[in-house]
This record gives sequence, structure tokens and C-alpha cells, in this order.
Amino acid sequence: MNDLTFKLLAAARRLAQLLVVIVGSTFLVSLLLQLLPVGLKELYVFALDEAGRQQQIQALHLDKNPVMFYLYWLWDFVRGDFGSIVYPTGVLDPVMPKVTAAMPVSLRLVFYVQALALVVSVPLGILSAYRAGRRSDRVISYVLFSAASIPNFVFALLLASFFGVTLAWLPPLGYVAPSENLVEHLRTMALPVLALAIPTIATYTRLLRTDVIAALREDYVTMAASKGLSNIRILFTHILRPSSVTLFTSAALNMGALIGGTLVIEQIFTIPGMGTEIGIAIFSRQYFALQSYVAVIAIGYVLFNSIVDIAVGFVDPRSRDRRNG
Amino acid sequence: MVKLFREMKISSRVSAFWLCLMALFAVVGHWIPLPDPREFDIDASAVGPFSPGHILGTDAGGYDLLSNIVNGARTSLLISIVSVGLGGFIGSVLGILAAYRRGRLDYIINTTFNIMLSIPNLVLGLALVAVLANNADPAIPVNPNRRMFVIIVSLTIVIIPILGRIARGATLTWSNREFVVAARSMGMKDLNIVLRHIVPNVLPAIYAVGFLAVGVVIVAEGALSLLGVGIVDGLSWGAMIARVAGEFEYAPQSMYVPVLVLALTVIACNQIGDFLRGRLDVREGKI
Repeated sequence: MNDLTFKLLAAARRLAQLLVVIVGSTFLVSLLLQLLPVGLKELYVFALDEAGRQQQIQALHLDKNPVMFYLYWLWDFVRGDFGSIVYPTGVLDPVMPKVTAAMPVSLRLVFYVQALALVVSVPLGILSAYRAGRRSDRVISYVLFSAASIPNFVFALLLASFFGVTLAWLPPLGYVAPSENLVEHLRTMALPVLALAIPTIATYTRLLRTDVIAALREDYVTMAASKGLSNIRILFTHILRPSSVTLFTSAALNMGALIGGTLVIEQIFTIPGMGTEIGIAIFSRQYFALQSYVAVIAIGYVLFNSIVDIAVGFVDPRSRDRRNG
Repeated sequence: MVKLFREMKISSRVSAFWLCLMALFAVVGHWIPLPDPREFDIDASAVGPFSPGHILGTDAGGYDLLSNIVNGARTSLLISIVSVGLGGFIGSVLGILAAYRRGRLDYIINTTFNIMLSIPNLVLGLALVAVLANNADPAIPVNPNRRMFVIIVSLTIVIIPILGRIARGATLTWSNREFVVAARSMGMKDLNIVLRHIVPNVLPAIYAVGFLAVGVVIVAEGALSLLGVGIVDGLSWGAMIARVAGEFEYAPQSMYVPVLVLALTVIACNQIGDFLRGRLDVREGKI
């Protein structure tokens, strides 16, 4: 088999795996609705007369078995109909506009956190790796270890109370869209981003430190140094390039924790993102909406991980060869 | 156990001591002579730490903080230990089975793990709790015991793929080792090979990640409480934090005390997990 067919086959295999996971996870979420101790009909069918009842049951596909129920949902979902919030009056409020409004807010939050975390942790990780074993490195390591262990909602509550209430430097809650007022937007986002970023920074710095220490011991680094390359050159071409793979991969893995984190952080700071929408859906018992929200998150998370996987292949030829070979 | 303790550095020793203390609270907490955790002291609401009768002070409602910490340890540790224990057991059995048998079974189990892991764990936990803890009549609150049961079941489901994957990975590396091949060629039964040769080698990795998972679950319990689907009005650290979140200016200690205890416990779990993992690497390195 020549190289190209091999690559195409590998790509097709990956795509098939991706589809299996996406279909599986959305089906899993759909199955959750069947686990409800309360019947869906009792929750969402409000018509009093029999004809009206039957009509509502049909409209919501409640007369189908779990597999058919899922397939109907999937068919609607891929066409952009994310289901509806069902009001007791029988009025349907589509979920799609809520997702398109909430998603950018959550994405922005996650993006700021990842960007800040990478910007801070790269120099910090390199610095502590070059000082490995000294007292300052040990102190930094302990602080980072503790920071990585403390849950982000703890930081959120403490930051909100200290900077938001005691000092009153930043708004302790609320959200302003960037199109409305960019300065206010950054001010409202500062505390939530910081709360999510502190544990993330600690995690990345620890990883990068270990990685850089290992890279510094590699023969090719000694070789580069003996060739007379400058420290900066060695740092960028021989140390950071392989280490960036670790960093990318862990950024992707950390995404799951970050998405979970935004659920709580958004509710603490009342940011109108996906977390808040999920909270509303749970409290008003809108499980069709919940199903679509969780499905959107799962699909986004899976896709993000695959993209990072492919990107890592470009940065690190070793992993590319390993996968194809 | 004593030998393990001797190997530890000071930070791991302190962590082990802290976890033992919390476990002691969880077991004998209700026999320690402290004020009733649910009884508010009208004469001493929002008093600071080291007040007479209230060593750690009280919150704005007059609840004794130390008593709530001690009694909350039972719920928080019960949830985390039961769900990690149960989830770890089920996950390990599935993971070892998949990796030892390979083939179609491995594909099915591994794909199932991947599917479960494709939903961020707090999102999955939240969705499970939200769906399972429900009453036909929304006006009737769900009974705390049932809520606790639901939370344990949900978090167990979250833990299964995490530890299952670790078990699978570890089994894959060990099942190709010479001594396993030798045992198989001598005609040893599969069950015996797994129990004698695979399980003892896979277990340390499970313990190491298991401690990290306990930390994850303690945090998840707190997060669920903050999201309003935890054990409402229950005695747990998460419930303590959720109760005062947003309004603790009058009694800052009501926030700092549970947050500190929760954070220290998670740090201790991670420290012990890291210690166990480091020990594992050393042993592998020597071979």
C-alpha cells in the first residue's frame, strides 16, 4: 500500500471513531431522559382533552421507544432544531436561539482562561525548570501544587469577596458584552477568568517544568550547546517545540475540567453562558433543553480534542509517524 | 502501612495525618462533645474563631462551624469513598477484562469508556443528579437520603471510565510481560493469571489515581451543592459553602473555614496520590 492510501485510510478510521463517540454520547444523554423517575408525559403534556393530549404526545415524540426517540431528536438536531422549552400553557420556546446567545459567552470565557494560562505558565514553567532543585523552585513547586489542588469555585468565592466586595475594585457579578462596552466587559470578566485560570496556570506550569527538565537532559540539547548555539535558540528550537506538544495535549485534556468549571463559575458570577442556561433548564425541569445543551457541549469537547490531536501531529513529526506506522 | 509511612516525605506525612483526622471525624464525629450542628446559638451568631463554646466560631445563622465540619466530614467522605470505591471496582473489572481479552469485547468496553469521557465529568454528574433526583410533584422536596444515594450513583458512573481506562492501560502493559506469558504457557487458568499476576501489579496504579479521584469527587460534591442540586440542608462541606456563598461579609469565617478544610483535604488526597505514583515510577525504573 502506498503512503497516500495509508494516510486516507487512517483519516477515515479517525473520522469513523469520532462519529461513533459523538453518536454514542448524544444517545447516552438521550437515554438519561428515559431514566427520569417522573414520566415525560406527566411533565410536558398539559392538554386536558384526549385529542389535544395525543397531539402533544406526537409532537414531542413521547410515544416512541428510546431508540426512535433518539433518532427523531438527532434528525431535528442536525437540521438545527435543538428542541424546545415546553411551557405549561403548551407554548414551545425553541432552544436554538438560547444556545447561539449563550455559547459565545462561554467560549469567550474559556478562551480568555486558556490564553491567560498559556501566557503566564510558559515563562513560569521555563523559569522554574532552569532553577530546578534550588530552594526557590521548591517553594514555587509547593505553591503550584496547592493551587492546582484548590477547586476553582473556592478561588471564585474568595476573589469575589476580596476584590469585588471588600476592595470594590471590580464588579463581583454581572456581565457586559464586548460590543456594548469593551472596558466594562474586561472588568466583569476579570474575576471569573482569574478564578478559572489560577488552577489551570498551576497545572500547566507543573507539566511544562517537568517537560523542560527532561528536555534539558536530552543528548540533542547537549549537542546543540556544544555546537555553540545560543541559549535562546536552544530554548526555542530544541526545548519548547517538543514541550509544546505536552502543553497542547494537556490544554485539550484540561478543557473538560474547564467546561465543568465554567458551569459553576458562571452561576457564581451570573454570567449568561451555557452553565447558567443549564442551571435554568434543571430548575425549571426542561429536560429536552438540557439534552441539547449537554449534547452541544459533548460534541464541542470531542471536536476540540480531535483538532488538537491533529495539530499535535503537525508540530511533532514523531507522533505522526507513530500513528501512521 | 508503617513501612509506607517511613518512606514518606514530611509533606506526605502531614497529608496522611490530615486524611486520618478527617476519617476519624467521619467515623466518631457524632460522639465528640460539640454543639449540635443543626442548632443555632442565638446569643452567639457570627462570632469569630476562638470564642467561648465555639472554637472555630459560628456563621451568620449561629451554627457552630467546627461541629458542622466534623459532622459534614461523614457525608463528604462517605460520598467520595463509596463512589470512588464502587466506581473504581467496576471500572477496574471492566478495564482488566477488556485489556486481557482484547478483540471485540475490548473494542466495546473501550468505546463505551470513550463515550462516557466525552462528556465533561461535572456536566455528566450534574445531568445525572438533575434527572435522577426528581419528584413527580416539584413542590415536594426530594428526601436528603435519596439525594445522597443519587449523588453517589451519579458520581460512581462518572468515576467508572476514569479508573477503568487506567486499569485497561496498566493491564495492557503487564499482560505482555514474560512472567504472564510464562504462566500462560505453563497452562495456568486465565482467572488465576489475572488474580495472581495482573491484579497485584495493576492495583498500585489504581490506588494512585484513586486518591486523585477522591479529591475530584469532593470537589464535585461541593460544585453540585453550589449549583443547588447537592444535599440541600444536609451536613456536608459543599452544603456549608453553598449555604453562605454570596452572603458571608458578616461572618467571613463561615466561608473561610469550610473552604480551607475542603481545599486541604483535596491537597492531601493529591499529595498522597502523587506519592503513590512516584513510588510506582521508581519501582518500574529499577527493573
